Amino acid sequence: MKLLEDHAKAWLRARALPVPDGRAAHTPEDAAELARALGGRVAVKALVAAGRRGKAGAVKIANDEIAAEAVARGILGAEIAGQRTRRLYVEAAVDIAAELYLSFGFGRLAPQIAVSRQGGVDIETVAASDPAAIVTAEVDAIRGLSVWQAAYLWERAGVESKLVPLLAALTARLYTAFRDADALMLEVNPLAVTRAGDLSIVGTMMEIDGNALFRHPEWQDLELDETGPGGRALNERERAVIAADRKFQGGAIRYTELPGDIALFVSGGGAGLLQHDLMLAAGGRPANHSDLSPASIDKPAALFDAIFANPGAKGLLIGMNYLQLLPCTLIVEALLLSIKRNGVDPRGFPIVVRLFGPKEDEARRLAATVPGIHYLPHGASLEEGVRKIVALVGA
Amino acid sequence: MSILIDSSTRVLVQGATGAQARFDIRYCLDYGTRIVAGVTPGRGGETVEGVPVFNTVAAALAATGANASAVYVPARGVKDAVMEAVEAGIRVLACFAENVPRHDAAAAVAAARSVGARMAGFNTNGVISPGRCKLGGIGGDRAAQIYAPGRIGVCSRSGGMSAEICWTLSRAGMGASTCVSMGGDPIVGMRMVEVLKLFEADPETDACVIFGEPGGTHEIEVAEALRAGELRKPVVALIAGQFQERYPAGVSFGHFAAVIKGENDSASAKRKILAAAGARVASSLEEIPQLLR
Repeated sequence: MKLLEDHAKAWLRARALPVPDGRAAHTPEDAAELARALGGRVAVKALVAAGRRGKAGAVKIANDEIAAEAVARGILGAEIAGQRTRRLYVEAAVDIAAELYLSFGFGRLAPQIAVSRQGGVDIETVAASDPAAIVTAEVDAIRGLSVWQAAYLWERAGVESKLVPLLAALTARLYTAFRDADALMLEVNPLAVTRAGDLSIVGTMMEIDGNALFRHPEWQDLELDETGPGGRALNERERAVIAADRKFQGGAIRYTELPGDIALFVSGGGAGLLQHDLMLAAGGRPANHSDLSPASIDKPAALFDAIFANPGAKGLLIGMNYLQLLPCTLIVEALLLSIKRNGVDPRGFPIVVRLFGPKEDEARRLAATVPGIHYLPHGASLEEGVRKIVALVGA
Repeated sequence: MSILIDSSTRVLVQGATGAQARFDIRYCLDYGTRIVAGVTPGRGGETVEGVPVFNTVAAALAATGANASAVYVPARGVKDAVMEAVEAGIRVLACFAENVPRHDAAAAVAAARSVGARMAGFNTNGVISPGRCKLGGIGGDRAAQIYAPGRIGVCSRSGGMSAEICWTLSRAGMGASTCVSMGGDPIVGMRMVEVLKLFEADPETDACVIFGEPGGTHEIEVAEALRAGELRKPVVALIAGQFQERYPAGVSFGHFAAVIKGENDSASAKRKILAAAGARVASSLEEIPQLLR
């Protein structure tokens, strides 16, 4: 989940990190008011979750409140990286003498830090033109980032000696803020050296960990910024699945709608990927992708609800890997519950079930109470389930 | 032999009094796994399926000599559970919690690796050395039917697919020396290549099967080790998720780790790189036994 700049900077400011004074604005008049309060010269930025806003024309410097109002009028409502700009961030402009780069993220096993003397530009561009200008290192997740490790990195990045202690201290504190926020990514670009010789966190991007929200009540009500394939907005069914996933305890469900006509209720990450591949190879067109991990009945039932509500779906494959952690009855009970509350008749909406594991016999008896459900014989392969539903929906 | 666990393994269950743990403990005991202790703070003195429960890992180890742990503690408490276990001396773990906060996962994995502990997960369904021991729910109620003993080392990024692969092997008259479900979370305790190096050193493993997905670099590291001659036993690779390439980068359809970010992250790229390094690449489950022959 990406944090917008106002939230990210509020988090850093609360930790006494050097962030320029600033606040969110909803109207050009707000922006003018803020510019006056901030002393005139301000940066006006579109509050959208996108990097490279400067390039997109979404960051402008205004020398006074009148200019701030005009600039704000130009940015509000503009489309930046596919998102309509509804709010602005207005902050005191910083007198920049030099621009550096700093980011935290994760590598294969551990947190990672990257620093560069070349800030203010796309780090991807620096990586392509001058990879040696970016210094990266792993951070010990238990000990955190020490001031001396940070000093070593900035020295290797080639910043002048007198800046090293200042940068090292700030970098270590920023790492703590990164960890305490349960952030997956924190980028400061540019990290500005002001003409007065201070450091200032001018550009910030921050992505927080949706799995750690239980530790962060302050972000519990953030608007969902998840998007579907191609950055499209989520539809009501996808939103309903996310809401159900958050509401009910345990396990996880995921649902992404696609333009085809065969709904996929698949699980276990890997088996779902394989069946999706096999379906395309067999000429079938998936109406969605989904994933499910062991959960109470509410989550699979919510996933079935989304599938049955999708007007594009003409049939359903329930293709589970051999169940090891939960009984087959749980899936069939959820299916029957959702069939009932959505008024589905499997005689006109083919449902193929490839479901083996604990309590399989009981699950078969339950499924047999609804005519039209094709429960494959024990031992049928994942491939057979795919071929069967493609034949039924195609016919 | 086998890797990680065998018939002498004495299993501890952390979070033993939870519903999933009870469900799995029954099947593990039926399978013949020596579960010697459980831990749930505050529930010391109780039993689960006849297994004594202790308040701390240290007490459980002192009383029972457990040497591997099946960790059922949920995501928000699992970092401490792993640290407690490795501090008490456990060196083999399977951690089932999924969607573990990334910073917690990194700290737990760092703690385990710093003492040389080998950890499957997060988001694994366990490890099984067929006929000898199983750590976790892997195999469910029919572990003996699905996971036949044999000489193939299996390492899968998906717990479900580990079952499908081993079931395919057993129907073809083959079996697994050990099957490791590595875990589907972005940070897991062992890299795939590290598991394969254990199989490389195991005299009872003749060849390996890996199941890979888009995202991350596990499969690329395996290819590098093949090219460097560090892995000499045949490797059969099934890499799913090619369909994701039809959609924009950055969309996750399955495991949270399975997000395409770079050019080598896609299923197609991984298949190509593995094939060029000498792995035999399967395009369906049904092909795996043929490629092993």
